[in-house]
Amino acid sequence: MTITRRELHGPTPCPVVDPEREIIHVDCASHSYPDGSIGIHDMCFHVLKNEIVAICGPNGSGKSTLIEHLNGLLTPSQGKILVQRRLLSGIESSNLWRVVGVVFQQSDDQLFAPTVLDDVMFGLLNLGLNRKEAKERAMHALEAVGGAHLARKIPNYLSGGEKRLVAIAGILAMRPKVIALDEPTSDLDPVHTGRIERLIIGLKEEFGIGVVVATHDLDFAARIADRICLVKNGSVFAEGPPAEVFYDPDLIREAGLEIPSGIRLYLDFCTAMGVVPGKRPVRREELVAALREVPEKE
Amino acid sequence: MSALPVSSHIPDPDLITYYAEKQDSFFSGVSPWTKLASLAVLIVGITLLRDPLALLGLYLVVLSLFILAKLPVEKLLRWYLFPLLFVVSLVGILAWTQPGNPVLDFSVAGIPVTLTDTGVLLVVTLAAKTLISITFSLFFLMTTRYEYLSGMISRIFPAPIDQIFLMAYRFFFLTFAMVGSILKAVRSRGGGLVRGMRTEGVLFAEIIGLVFIRSFDRAERVEKAMRARGYRGSYSNTTEIPSPGIGGYGVLALCILVIIASSLVFPSGGW
Repeated sequence: MTITRRELHGPTPCPVVDPEREIIHVDCASHSYPDGSIGIHDMCFHVLKNEIVAICGPNGSGKSTLIEHLNGLLTPSQGKILVQRRLLSGIESSNLWRVVGVVFQQSDDQLFAPTVLDDVMFGLLNLGLNRKEAKERAMHALEAVGGAHLARKIPNYLSGGEKRLVAIAGILAMRPKVIALDEPTSDLDPVHTGRIERLIIGLKEEFGIGVVVATHDLDFAARIADRICLVKNGSVFAEGPPAEVFYDPDLIREAGLEIPSGIRLYLDFCTAMGVVPGKRPVRREELVAALREVPEKE
Repeated sequence: MSALPVSSHIPDPDLITYYAEKQDSFFSGVSPWTKLASLAVLIVGITLLRDPLALLGLYLVVLSLFILAKLPVEKLLRWYLFPLLFVVSLVGILAWTQPGNPVLDFSVAGIPVTLTDTGVLLVVTLAAKTLISITFSLFFLMTTRYEYLSGMISRIFPAPIDQIFLMAYRFFFLTFAMVGSILKAVRSRGGGLVRGMRTEGVLFAEIIGLVFIRSFDRAERVEKAMRARGYRGSYSNTTEIPSPGIGGYGVLALCILVIIASSLVFPSGGW
């Protein structure tokens, strides 16, 4: 798979890539805010089953706006959104929250109920489950994220990492087909960041959920993503596998981002050793293996 | 959590919640409905009672409950300041106009000013009633888990009033923390020293304005997050609240009897 580039000006096609696995297809969607600022513009994006896709771009590039469209919080003024190849009507798009769950950047905005268990049950009760079923599913979700011991606690007094876990549990309990996370590791210490990373990978591997992660942290994206979408000025202008995208410094620079530090270290090391990089390692274990194979300078 | 307590004379919601969640006294296990009903009976009682001795006795009983519940008495005494100031501001001038036996007598610019025993009783009686209701209210809040409070609110008040209360209660904590953070930022750069009424007035207005703006902004984000999980204007609380039981009803009946007996036994004198 190579990098797919998309022109930001003029009409460009937005084809369906994998009809069997595609859950959400955003087709040339545009949205502007009341103050005239552009949220997304001619956005072409898709989410596949069993995949972690990272939307990477600087602040204000349209990542959060795109995520709010996936959940139905915003509707595009132009273009359309298809769910499992079906175009949603106006009423149906207001039910997108049943298919796509969103974990917001600020957990404090998401956790409002008196206790953690009440908060995780909130979405389930809105889905129409009775109290007993909702409680069971909520406890299962809390156990899945390692937060069962927090059930009776008041969300206000949880640590940042615990709040993030509970927010994810609240969405996981609803069993959506797609979970979108907006900057899931911002404000977290390295221990909790690692925990969230393992959880996100688990969402894909254990639950078969399509995962969308909006982030400007390419190191984080490099560790977990199967596909990278680079966003600028409200549009995805390039996408591809991490091994292709992260090894294209011009592309990364165009996106207003920095190459992941592990990859930069590998490239700098190869330059220092006077060798051309033979591989394109992305994840840590790949980087370690590749560094070991770099021949010593003679 | 609050960044800095706003004042040691204002009840700290975090401390109240800490004790409420600690649940290490006998009274934490008493049904919240019993305690709430007792509070209501108490309010009726202090409205009917006028005898200062009866009110003093009632205050000592309530204070004893507070102490037995292992709650912080020192903090409580500090928290009395503003309610007492309120009472003084309400009846402070009125107290000097009451008929009765003079206690204090002097003149100001040729105008005679007299404080009578009735005036003193007026202040004392109202202060006692205030302290009784505040002490028992704090006792109730500090021995009842937040989840039970929210459950009770959703059962007592109709929609959407219950939701307004629930959200307001939750965001009271967050707003307090926000004000504490702003004050911390102000004090960290030398602010907070009283330089003059105008300067402090401007600073105060700026802080209040900022709190409003941030609160609105946050409320919008919270509403968005709720809609993202299917919220359509109705939120039902599902917490099970322990029911009173026979003992609880017995205590309640006893309280009612004591109040009725007191209002019959004690004279309606005082103020």
